[in-house]
Amino acid sequence: MFETLEKYWNDGLEPTMVFELFNQGLTLGVGMTAILAALGVVVCSSPIYSALYLIGHMVCLALLFLLYNAEFIAAVQVVVYAGAVMILFLFIIALLGAKKEELKLTDITLERFIAVSFVGTLFCELLMTLAVGETKPVTGAMTPEVLQQVGSAKAIGLTLFSKHLIPFELASILLLVATVGVICLAKFQVKPIRRRTR
Amino acid sequence: MGTTFILFLSASIFSIGAIGFLIRKNPLVMFMCVELMLNAVNLVLVAYSKFLQSMDGQVFALIIMTVAAAEVVVGLAIILTIFRTRHELNVDHIDVLKG
Amino acid sequence: MYPHAWLILILPMLGFIFLSWYGKRVSKTVAGFIGCATIGVAFLITLTLLAGLLISDPAERVGNVQVAYSWLNMQTFHLDLAILVDPLSVFMLLVITGVGFLIHVYSVGYMSEDPEYARFFSYMNFFIFSMSLLVLAADFFFLIVGWAMVGLASYLLIGFWTHKTSAVLAARKAFVMNVIGDVGMVIAAFMIYDHFGSISYAEVFSAAPAKFMANDVDILLITLFLLVGAFAKSAQIPLHTWLPDAMEGPTPVSALIHAATMVTAGVYLIARCNVLYMLAPYTLFLIASVGVLTALFAGAMGMVQYDIKRVIAYSTMSQLGYMFLAVGVGVFSVGMFHLMTHAFFKALLFLGAGSVIHSLHEEQDIRKMGGLARPMPITFATFLIASLALTAFPLTAGFYSKDAIIMHSYFSEYGNFVFWGLALLGAGMTGFYTFRLFFYTFLGKSRSPEAHPHESPWVMVVPLMILAFLSLFAGHLAGWVNEFLAPVFGGHVPHAPHDSIMEATAITVSLLGIVSAIGLYLTGKNQLEFVKTVGAPLYDLMLNKFYIDELYNFFITKPMRVIGKFFEQRAEREGIDFAIDMVGDQVREVSRQISVLQSGKVRWYAFNTVAGLILVLVFVIFL
Repeated sequence: MFETLEKYWNDGLEPTMVFELFNQGLTLGVGMTAILAALGVVVCSSPIYSALYLIGHMVCLALLFLLYNAEFIAAVQVVVYAGAVMILFLFIIALLGAKKEELKLTDITLERFIAVSFVGTLFCELLMTLAVGETKPVTGAMTPEVLQQVGSAKAIGLTLFSKHLIPFELASILLLVATVGVICLAKFQVKPIRRRTR
Repeated sequence: MGTTFILFLSASIFSIGAIGFLIRKNPLVMFMCVELMLNAVNLVLVAYSKFLQSMDGQVFALIIMTVAAAEVVVGLAIILTIFRTRHELNVDHIDVLKG
Repeated sequence: MYPHAWLILILPMLGFIFLSWYGKRVSKTVAGFIGCATIGVAFLITLTLLAGLLISDPAERVGNVQVAYSWLNMQTFHLDLAILVDPLSVFMLLVITGVGFLIHVYSVGYMSEDPEYARFFSYMNFFIFSMSLLVLAADFFFLIVGWAMVGLASYLLIGFWTHKTSAVLAARKAFVMNVIGDVGMVIAAFMIYDHFGSISYAEVFSAAPAKFMANDVDILLITLFLLVGAFAKSAQIPLHTWLPDAMEGPTPVSALIHAATMVTAGVYLIARCNVLYMLAPYTLFLIASVGVLTALFAGAMGMVQYDIKRVIAYSTMSQLGYMFLAVGVGVFSVGMFHLMTHAFFKALLFLGAGSVIHSLHEEQDIRKMGGLARPMPITFATFLIASLALTAFPLTAGFYSKDAIIMHSYFSEYGNFVFWGLALLGAGMTGFYTFRLFFYTFLGKSRSPEAHPHESPWVMVVPLMILAFLSLFAGHLAGWVNEFLAPVFGGHVPHAPHDSIMEATAITVSLLGIVSAIGLYLTGKNQLEFVKTVGAPLYDLMLNKFYIDELYNFFITKPMRVIGKFFEQRAEREGIDFAIDMVGDQVREVSRQISVLQSGKVRWYAFNTVAGLILVLVFVIFL
């Protein structure tokens, strides 16, 4: 971003560049919002707030998807994720009662220390992969022009039903299995488990 | 914005999700954190779909969403069942399945 | 050319499948009808095959292979699912399905009281299927398949009454003995494949004469290993001990499997492989010697037994010995002819014995019978005919076949005077034991007054009458059989020269046996006791079946037991078991300690997952 700004500084501003600048600023802003929303999910002691933050996070991601020319995925993200799945979450929370969790972030227990150090290590390692630098854009079959012409949904459909047909079918089977599993879980009464004493 | 930013963003979200999963005790919130991690991966897939100018990434993002939906549904059903039998929701107390 | 020959295999198989699945649900009438009808239709089909062969040119009668499909096709090995329709297999099929049908019909009456009626018929159908497969096989592979399957059928049927311990033990014994034979057959098949690169009859038999000189070691070995199978299946010395015990099964089984068909498979095998055996005169000599010895020893053992079925079983062994003698001296069609007549009169004897046993409520000891001629006239008459045929009384079927064997044992190319003399002695014994049995059973006074014998129902009597008719008149088919089978055996068997003195001797010796039986058993007890005292050692030996079971027990079973016990203790308990227990214990101990890791707490697992992820990333990034 800053390189672009520098270039603009040197070369002067043009309308497309303005658009691009705006675009990049938007990406940055939305990305940061997404991170904040994610943090909100983790730190809120009430599950209902967590869920609301998660919805916000997903909407942010949907925006990012839009910025990356993936309109169809963005729509699915909003409809399925932020819509259906999160509504399900909210229902369950409403059903079970939104009990607050004892969550004092200032307390540093051993458990939290280990968790943060583990994930910190993980994060550092992930960042190390950035050391390889910027990925150069590759020219593939789906250039922005082609995508513009075909449309995001159709392009996905073309790939999904030709190249990735088997994963697609497997995913459908997965959904079927999940449906059956949920019906079983909901239908059969489970007896209270008594702890085994040994 | 380039790949570096996206990778950084994704890594951050993933790590936040992981921390959340590790320190929270409410299974619902843990599930949300899992969703966070899955979304982080989706983000990379979609972004790289643009950089590599190929639809494969988006297709996989779609499939991951399917998996996530299935997982959430089954997971929530399990949580509901556990709640029905034990009347509490603290993962630390749900430890019957031990060796 | 004869594709409908497949039906002979398919029909009994369908009957078997149907009766095994639905047998318990259908009524006895339906089960019996299906059991008989499948075999009856198979017999009719066999008749059409016979007609087809008779109207065709003699040269075209052999080698009609019906290929269903190519079963296995490798570069060096080819196997078709095929059957061979030629005079020999059709001849055998006539006996199998014809006599088999009569015995099935008889069983409808004999087994009518049995609760597991359908199971019996399903096994019988399975046996007919296996036996037909054995004789119809066009290569050694399916021959062995059929060979093993008739062994299985025999096992199942001997042990049909599973509540009888003795029956189960006898079934096991028969199975083990037969498996020894199967192993021999399989080795022979391997050797044949090794030498000829094929196991189909046509290729092997056409290539054999050019490939081997007479008495080559290889051809001797092949024929000897085949012979192991033949001896085991046909109960020849030294693999004969299973046949008398096999009489524990139901009587129709004894008639069908252990007299008429399965036990003659050994003779069929040698006749089928006549090309190979003609190349191995030494083996032929062995066959003839073993055959004549078996005829003698079995006859001797049969002379002193008191169980009606065992006596007949020993006579079966003895007659099989004659058949082996016939094929051993190279007169195959004579052997096959005796096979046929023997199937008639021996099945008749067994069925008659079954009729007697049936009416006396499972009594098998001939000392408790007697005086049955009056209450059971038809059984009496047919049994008499069978006995006469068995002793080769002039003008019965047995006379034509057995007399031919005895004559050929001297006049044939491979025959000699010793064979003739021993065969003659065996014929005398045959007369003796057959009529001893007959007198004990039917004449004199009833020895168990409380029994009320009665004639058997018609469904049992009619097969007896048909078989009696055949036993009387089948002898006239001798020339026809010789003619019919000639293409398979590469030519006619020349008529033995007429030597009236020798023929008269043969008849006299047979009659002498009958007369001595009359003398010992009809005139009074004194002579019998006298003979028993005089020949005490010999009598003892014969009564105990020459102690062969005991010899096997002492030389094979006992050492095996000792070795087994040793290994059970040292190798099994202290070696293998100990080692395995140690491994198991250690694994359990270690897992018990590791299982602490499985705490059941989800977040603990999550920690481990993250740790694993970190390690994986370390590998990805730094290595």
